[in-house]
Amino acid sequence: MDENIAPQLEDLTRALGDLEKTGIRAEFDKLLAFRVPPEIAKESILRKFGGKRKVLKVKDLSASLKNFEITGRILDIGEKAIRPREGAPDGPSRLYLGVLADETGSVMFSSWKELPGSGGDVINVKNAYTRLWQNRIRLSIGEQSLVSKVSDSLLPQLSELSISPAKKLIDIGAADFSVGTVACVLQLSHREVLIRGKQSKVISGVFADETGRLPFSAWVELPGIDIGSIIRIEGAQSRMFRGMPSINILSSTKVSSIGSEDAESLAFTFESAAKDPVPLKIEEIDSRDSMFDIAAAGNVVSVRPGSGIISRCPECSRVVQKSNCRAHGKVEGIRDMRIKAILDDGTGAMSVMFPRELAEIIYGKTLEEAEQLMFSDISKDAVYEDLRRILTGRYLAVRGNASKGEYGISFVAESAWVPEDDLTVRAVELLHRLGQDEEEPGSEVSRGGMSLA
Amino acid sequence: MLKREVAKRVFAKEFEACRELEKSARFASEAADVKSPNLLISPVGLILNRVFAVGVLTELDSIGTQNEMWKARIVDPTGAFTVYAGQYQSDASIFFSTVQVPAFIALTGKARIYEPEPGSIFVSIRAEEANVVDEEIRNRWVVDTAEQTVDRLEAFSDALASGYHGETLREYLLERGISDELAEGISIAFETERDPREFAKQLRVSIREGLRALNFESEGPAGAKTDQKEFVLELLREVGGGKGVDYATFVDAAVSRGVPEELVEEVVRSLLAGGQCYEPKIGIIRLVG
Repeated sequence: MDENIAPQLEDLTRALGDLEKTGIRAEFDKLLAFRVPPEIAKESILRKFGGKRKVLKVKDLSASLKNFEITGRILDIGEKAIRPREGAPDGPSRLYLGVLADETGSVMFSSWKELPGSGGDVINVKNAYTRLWQNRIRLSIGEQSLVSKVSDSLLPQLSELSISPAKKLIDIGAADFSVGTVACVLQLSHREVLIRGKQSKVISGVFADETGRLPFSAWVELPGIDIGSIIRIEGAQSRMFRGMPSINILSSTKVSSIGSEDAESLAFTFESAAKDPVPLKIEEIDSRDSMFDIAAAGNVVSVRPGSGIISRCPECSRVVQKSNCRAHGKVEGIRDMRIKAILDDGTGAMSVMFPRELAEIIYGKTLEEAEQLMFSDISKDAVYEDLRRILTGRYLAVRGNASKGEYGISFVAESAWVPEDDLTVRAVELLHRLGQDEEEPGSEVSRGGMSLA
Repeated sequence: MLKREVAKRVFAKEFEACRELEKSARFASEAADVKSPNLLISPVGLILNRVFAVGVLTELDSIGTQNEMWKARIVDPTGAFTVYAGQYQSDASIFFSTVQVPAFIALTGKARIYEPEPGSIFVSIRAEEANVVDEEIRNRWVVDTAEQTVDRLEAFSDALASGYHGETLREYLLERGISDELAEGISIAFETERDPREFAKQLRVSIREGLRALNFESEGPAGAKTDQKEFVLELLREVGGGKGVDYATFVDAAVSRGVPEELVEEVVRSLLAGGQCYEPKIGIIRLVG
């Protein structure tokens, strides 16, 4: 062995464990064969397999995470033969699919290599990543992931993990595979939809508990369950719908009503859960991936370009630029109005989208009046400029759904209003808080006397 | 993810006292890259870049020779912000070229620090967007800003009282439910400020005066409430006289005459805060004079 290589290999072994077994040695040799200096080769291997790696739990998973470590028990595993693409060098490859669980939840995984364990075993995966697959978060184990079987583990036993954990609604996320909860039915409606040419009945609605609300849909009948019912569900699925987790009740889901005695021990009642949501700090909204039916309030610190009168494709409702739809080419656009504004409360900022009905209310002009302005002014941005003049700095409260994207929170408003809380009461309250640790009470009295005069 | 910087609510007094935050001072931050914003830190631990301020525009000058550059002063109850807008802040420049002085204005902008020589530091806002607003929005900004500042000051006093420093302090604050950023800011402020207590005290005095200066009763449906407040004060004079009265007894007396309990509490609180009455003994309230 080259004496330049030995110390590098030693370092790598110390950092990453058994090099031969995990295939790291082969990777290292490959780099050397391309005349990469051993020192640099070591660094790139360390970057790839080691480095500052986060250790995550299932509940922490979100879409498109890279290079993290996770330990879980395999709840279920199956394999699927993948037909090779034409011209691919190797024979048919296999994809292993299953569910991995820890004490915080369970997540679907897919692996491109055979795992060193089967159902019930605990595995540790290094250099794992996540991606969105059919709107769900999926844990991916790739060629570059290191998987090892962990024999002695502190994780709960299989029987315990198989029961879907009962969660509060706010804790149900896109990573959850199977969920259970106790919640009350806030809204309920029956619809008939066509699925693969077959007429099917679907129930959709909203669940609520003391932590929040989530939409649900049921593909089975829910006898005896109506608005106001408090129910326990076990083994439901969470699915992502419009960037929001939604609870799916399937035929395998257990649904039962909560007796009035048990209901008394809950932290919510139908009445308390049905109350209008209180405005949250934007900071709090920012700490979650998505939130359904919440309220927030803040100042409009900016009205974004693209606000004002727009034109939509009559076929797909996409915004058209210069009469050209991205999907349908040259079209006769339909006029619409919308406002995109940044709402900021000093703790966080979010982009809020106001559809036409709300835009007309907060702007104070109807679409027709805005059109008048557009035609009567030479500036093509007349409406946008007018919007900025009217809205910038204003204080607004909004209610709707929040989801996180590439540029932070985006919030779709379903209602908007000007909050009327009593500033005097808040000011008095603040003076009280400020006065509490006053060091010289004497001077306080005299100042108070002065302000009286 | 390129996240939008939050527009911090800060009073001019605290903003003026901000200093540049050395990137090396942030222990949480990973290696600072070009895109990371210039951050300022206040003596009581507020870390900020963008600010949102509402105040009275009292001065406006067109400065600079070739390129148009506006310099504005925006006054809040604690002091004044110095604001600049130049050719690269076209939205704000256009606004300043049309606005009349004085006016209530709302403004977002980025904090800037200029240090022509050691010891003389100028803190200003480079305007992004500005607009004319009404007094109601100004008042709300003062209350919102006071609320967030008082929250911060309370965390700060708590930190001072704890006697902890550095990493221990940070962990202590996080445990108390203080946000990551503020916990970090306070522990940095402790390292750099010579006498953080003094500034905190001055800031409290300014906020208190600022809140008192707000003229809430000028309009709106507060009239009926004002009458009831007068009534409570009158009642306190009547039953308490110069000797003082047991608080619970007084509340009962007021409620029996049709004044809601919350309002009684509110009035007594404001009287206490305003120094018009005090508690000679716990549970006893007595009017001054």
